[in-house]
Amino acid sequence: MKNLAFASIVELRNAFAKNEISSAELLDYFVQRFERYDKDLGSALEIFDKESIIKKYTPGTILNAIPGIIKDNICQQDRITSCSSKILQNFRATYDATAIARLKKAGALLVGRANCDEFAMGSSTETSAYQKTKNPWDPNRVPGGSSGGSIAAVAAGLVPWSLGSETGGSVRQPAAFCGIVGLKPTYGLISRYGLIAYASSMDQIGIATRTVEDNAIVLSAIAGKDASDSTTANVEPKDYTKNIAAGIKKGLKIGVIENALYAQGMDPEIVKAIETALEEYKKLGAEVRTISLPSMDYGAAIYFILSRAEAASNLARFDGVRYGYRSKNSETLAHMYANSRQEGFGEEVKARILVGNYVLSVGHADQFYNNALKAQQVMRQEFMKAFHDVDVLVAPTHPVPAFKFGAFADNKLQMDLQDYFTCPMNIIGIPALNIPCGFTKDNLPIGFQLVGPHFSEELLFQVAHAYEQMTPWHTMHPKGFE
Amino acid sequence: MTHITKEELLKIARMSNLELKEEEIPSLIAQIQSVLTYAERVQDVASKTIDTSELPKNSNVFRPDIAVKTDSEPILEQAPQREQNYFVVPVILEN
Repeated sequence: MKNLAFASIVELRNAFAKNEISSAELLDYFVQRFERYDKDLGSALEIFDKESIIKKYTPGTILNAIPGIIKDNICQQDRITSCSSKILQNFRATYDATAIARLKKAGALLVGRANCDEFAMGSSTETSAYQKTKNPWDPNRVPGGSSGGSIAAVAAGLVPWSLGSETGGSVRQPAAFCGIVGLKPTYGLISRYGLIAYASSMDQIGIATRTVEDNAIVLSAIAGKDASDSTTANVEPKDYTKNIAAGIKKGLKIGVIENALYAQGMDPEIVKAIETALEEYKKLGAEVRTISLPSMDYGAAIYFILSRAEAASNLARFDGVRYGYRSKNSETLAHMYANSRQEGFGEEVKARILVGNYVLSVGHADQFYNNALKAQQVMRQEFMKAFHDVDVLVAPTHPVPAFKFGAFADNKLQMDLQDYFTCPMNIIGIPALNIPCGFTKDNLPIGFQLVGPHFSEELLFQVAHAYEQMTPWHTMHPKGFE
Repeated sequence: MTHITKEELLKIARMSNLELKEEEIPSLIAQIQSVLTYAERVQDVASKTIDTSELPKNSNVFRPDIAVKTDSEPILEQAPQREQNYFVVPVILEN
């Protein structure tokens, strides 16, 4: 039996269909990989017992018997779902998120819950209340965040796919740091029912895999209109793999956002790797042109304001009354609220709630929140106009490669600005896909983003797949996880 | 440059139902000020007039007004303190 560790979903499915391996053997194999490697890597907060995984499994279709791990902010019925926070340390989800229910229908084996930044707030997975996750390529460096656990597990070959969530780049950025494929779908494509809310107007479940085709398979299993989430678009589920190998049409117009690629602070090795990738696209017949999108310079500012404002509202529900952590020895209800939240939330979460309520408060709302809404419309329009002239955009995913633990401990603004290139797409609601495009001389992964108009995932997959198939990146894996 | 006083921070904290410790306050003020100072730049863009005709518009999504009954026991049994269908909490009004 060939080494399954870094096999794709397609390869595993074929092995399963040919009866080369059973669902129980597949589950065993990957659970053992967590047992062997995850004490050190720290990607999972919990790997469920095999019996309960099998009990929740029914044979399905496109993900039949394929194990994956789910970020800790997505509700899996009867499982602890803590958002990597103490305030939900004992909370058991009483229902499956729609994405989970659809994964089960497709036959997926859900092996556990993945570590993340607390309430998805962060860019390094360092704010998790429970543990750190290491970057599989360098144990002294972060995997990125907030979906660091989900991404590290896939990059290390512990599972072939995982779900994370995106609000400002939390799947694409760690995917870039760990050398894998990370999708942020169009807002409204994947149901948010059961995704614990951070910023409701931007949150989306994201998908991490090692190949583009695998990513399209998982999307096919979970995308589509959901009656339980009125913010889902009127889109029917479909097969996103159907035309994935069609190649790119001659003259495909790729717009390189030059004020992003050549922004101050960009690591020169990353710039070089992206320029080389663009040369590959030219060889494939694409027409590459540079464009300028000045509104990108305001993306992070808009994101800081809107996301924190929404977070302050969404996290008001955690008050110790009905579920989760309740502080003891509170004499009055008001003290119980304040103490439970003070003791249950970490520093970053508290800071964001305070910023959020500040920008919404009388005397500041006009300057910050209302202006951010107006700026968001300007940004939307600029990007939508760009898509009149080009088919897809290319931008960096990250300004620097995976950084060391604690690198931004004294500079929270610099940490927040790690989202600089990714958050515009969340603000606008358009889809974006990180794909690996090389390594630094220190052997750290480099990624870049393909960005498309609303509901262009099929095109993004095609364009990404074409590049992937002519490059070696998807065959390269971190050492130490054989 | 956004400037937050300690008083204002404590007021926002009260609104947020957060009880801050004295030693947290200086670094919180510093962190919040630096994020907000950076975010001030949105006012540069906000004054631009744009043609909104092409932008997506939100519309309401309705469902039939039919009540759906679910079993409340799985949630009630997770309550820190409960009595029948009630969540038990400390006294609401101070003496």
